[in-house]
Amino acid sequence: MEYVSLFVKSIFVDNMIFAYFLGMCSYLAVSKNVKTANGLGLAVIFVLLCTLPLNYLLNKYVLQPGALSWLGPQFANVDLSFLSFILFIAVIAAFVQLVEMIVERFLPSLYASLGIFLPLIAVNCAILGGSLFMQQKEFAGIGESAVYALGSGIGWYLAIVLLAAIREKMAYSNVPKPLKGIGITFITVGLMGLAFMIFMGISL
Amino acid sequence: MTLKETFLNPILKGNPITVLVLGICSSLAVTVTLKGALVMTLSVTVVTGLSSLIMSLLRKGIPNRVRIIVQLVVVAMMVILVDQILKSIEVTFPIDKQLSVYIGLIITNCIVMGRIEAFALGNKPFASLLDGLGNGLGYGLILIVVAFFRELLGSGTLFGVTVLSPEWYTPNNLVILPPFALILIGCIIWVHRGIIDKDLQEK
Amino acid sequence: MNTNGNIYTIIYTTLIVVVVAGILAAAASFLKPSQQANIKAETISQMLQAAQFDTQGMNNVQKLDKYAEEIESAFIIDAEGNKLRDLGVTRDAIELEDGLKAQNYAIAGKDGYTVGLPVYVLKGGVTLIPCYGAGLWGPVWGYIAIEPDGTTIKGAYFDHESETAGLGARIKDDPAFRAQLVGKKIAWEEVPLFEIVKGGAPEGRENAIDAITGATMTSKGLDAAISTWLAAYKPYFINLNKEEE
Repeated sequence: MEYVSLFVKSIFVDNMIFAYFLGMCSYLAVSKNVKTANGLGLAVIFVLLCTLPLNYLLNKYVLQPGALSWLGPQFANVDLSFLSFILFIAVIAAFVQLVEMIVERFLPSLYASLGIFLPLIAVNCAILGGSLFMQQKEFAGIGESAVYALGSGIGWYLAIVLLAAIREKMAYSNVPKPLKGIGITFITVGLMGLAFMIFMGISL
Repeated sequence: MTLKETFLNPILKGNPITVLVLGICSSLAVTVTLKGALVMTLSVTVVTGLSSLIMSLLRKGIPNRVRIIVQLVVVAMMVILVDQILKSIEVTFPIDKQLSVYIGLIITNCIVMGRIEAFALGNKPFASLLDGLGNGLGYGLILIVVAFFRELLGSGTLFGVTVLSPEWYTPNNLVILPPFALILIGCIIWVHRGIIDKDLQEK
Repeated sequence: MNTNGNIYTIIYTTLIVVVVAGILAAAASFLKPSQQANIKAETISQMLQAAQFDTQGMNNVQKLDKYAEEIESAFIIDAEGNKLRDLGVTRDAIELEDGLKAQNYAIAGKDGYTVGLPVYVLKGGVTLIPCYGAGLWGPVWGYIAIEPDGTTIKGAYFDHESETAGLGARIKDDPAFRAQLVGKKIAWEEVPLFEIVKGGAPEGRENAIDAITGATMTSKGLDAAISTWLAAYKPYFINLNKEEE
C-alpha cells in the first residue's frame, strides 16, 4: 500500500515538472511534437529507473555519515556526503554513455529512435534531481527508491507529452507575435502547473 | 567579437534565459525571495565563469570520448566548492539551507554545460572566463527581476523588509506558487521580443 | 599527441579524478569546523528564540555566549523520563543533541534505535524540548519552551527544510503563528496533548492553535511532530509535576 501511495504521489503531487521544474531545458526544447516528446519521455523513465536505485545503494553504503561502517568499525565516523553531487552525476553520465554504446551495438532500430536523446539526458536536471531528492527523502529501501524513480519518470513523461499535444494544436492559434513560440509556451506550462496544483493537498 | 562584447552580450542581447532558453531548471524555484535569487546568481556566475576557464585551459588535452564526463566532473567540483563555502560563511549559511537541492542542481544547469560546449572548448581562457561570467550575470538578471515581482507581490517585502504594509495590502498567494514564475518569465520574453529585440520573433 | 588513445584516456581520467577528489577533500576538511559552528549557532539561536530571547542581529559568538549565560543544565533522558547522562553547558564545552532524526525513528519504534531525548533547562526553570517530523516537502522541526510549572508554553520556534515560501514556510517566517503558542497549556492527561486545528481552534480551548490557511499538509506535519514528541516527554513532565506537588 505504501508503494502505491508513493507511486501515485510521485506522478501527480511531486511532479518533476510542475512541482519542482526539473528538466525544463529539454522539456521546452523537445516538446514541439508528440512523437519526439514520446521518445524523450520514455528515455527519461528508463534512465531514472536505472540510475536512482544505483545511487541509492551508493548513498547508503558509501556516502552517508557512518555508511562505511560495513568496512570495519574504524570507518564508522567517515562522512563522505560532500562527494554526493559528483558521484551521482558520474554514475548518471557513465550509465547514459554505457546504455548508448550497448543500444547502438545491439539494437540499432531502438538507437535510431531513442539514441539522439540519450546525451541530452545526462544533463537533464530531472535525473540528478531525482537522486538528490532520494537522498533528502531518505527512503527505507531500494524498492521504495525504484518506485519513486518510476513514478517521477512517468510524471515527467506525462508532462512532456501533454505539453507537446498542446503545442501541436497551438501552432494554428493566433498568438501575439512577440509571444509566439517560447513565450506562450512558458505561460502554458505555468497554467498547466496551476492545474496540477489541485493534487497538492491529497494525502494517500 | 571583442572581449567587452563577449562579456556584455549575454547580459541583455543574447540573454541565456530569454533568448537561448537555457537554465530554466533550477532557476524558478529560487525566485520567491530576492535574497535567494541573489545568492543563486552569485553561485551560478562563479560556477559558469570558473568552469569555463578551467575547461578552456584543459581544452587541448581532453580525450574526445570522455569529454562530457570530464566536463561534468569539473562543473560538479566547482558546485561542491561553492556549496561548501556558502555553508561555512555565517551570513550565507541560512540562505544555502533555503536553496537546498537547487544549489546541487547547478551542475545540470544547461547554461554551464552549454557555454563550455559552445564557447570555452574553442576559445582562449580569458575570453571563456568573461563569457561564463557574462552568461551567469545574464541569467541572474532575469532571476532578480522575477524575484523582485514575486517577493513584492507575494509577501509585500523586498529583501525581507516590509514595503507594502499588511494593513492595506493582502499578499497574493498565487504569486508565490511556482507556476507563476513561469508565467512571469513568459511575460518577460514578451517584453524582450516586443521591444528590445524584434528580430527574435517567430514568423 | 594522440589524445584519443586508450592509455592516454585512462591516464587522463584517473589524473582528473585524483586531482578533483584531492581538492574536494581538502576543502571539505578545511571548511568543516566553520560549517559545524554555523549549525551549532543556528540551533542555539532557535532554542533561545523559542524561550523568547531576541537573537536577531547577534553573531555566532554572541549567540553562544547568551546560551552559556542562560542555561542551567542539559541532559539526556530515556523513554521513562530517567536521566541518562549530562550534556556540557559551559561556554567552551557546549554540547547539543542534534540527532533529532534518529530520535524520531526511536520514538516511532523503528528497529536499531533507542530513545535518548535531550532536555535543556534554563536558569529560572524554563525547560526546552525539541520536536521533529515531516512537512509537505521535507522535514519540519522546532523547539518548545515550557514554563517551570511543566504545562504552560512560554514560546516556540519552528523551522523547515523546504516548505513553500509564503505558505508552509510561515511556521518559521510568521511571528504571529509562533505567538499563538504563548500561554497555551499542554493537556498532559488528555489525547491529543496539543493540537493544531485546521479552520481555527475552538474558542477557550487551552491546548490548541490555528493551522495556517493554505498550508494544510505543513500544519498537519507540524501537529504530528509536536504531539509525537510531547508524548515521548510525557513521563518526564509527569514526574516533574509530581515532585512539585
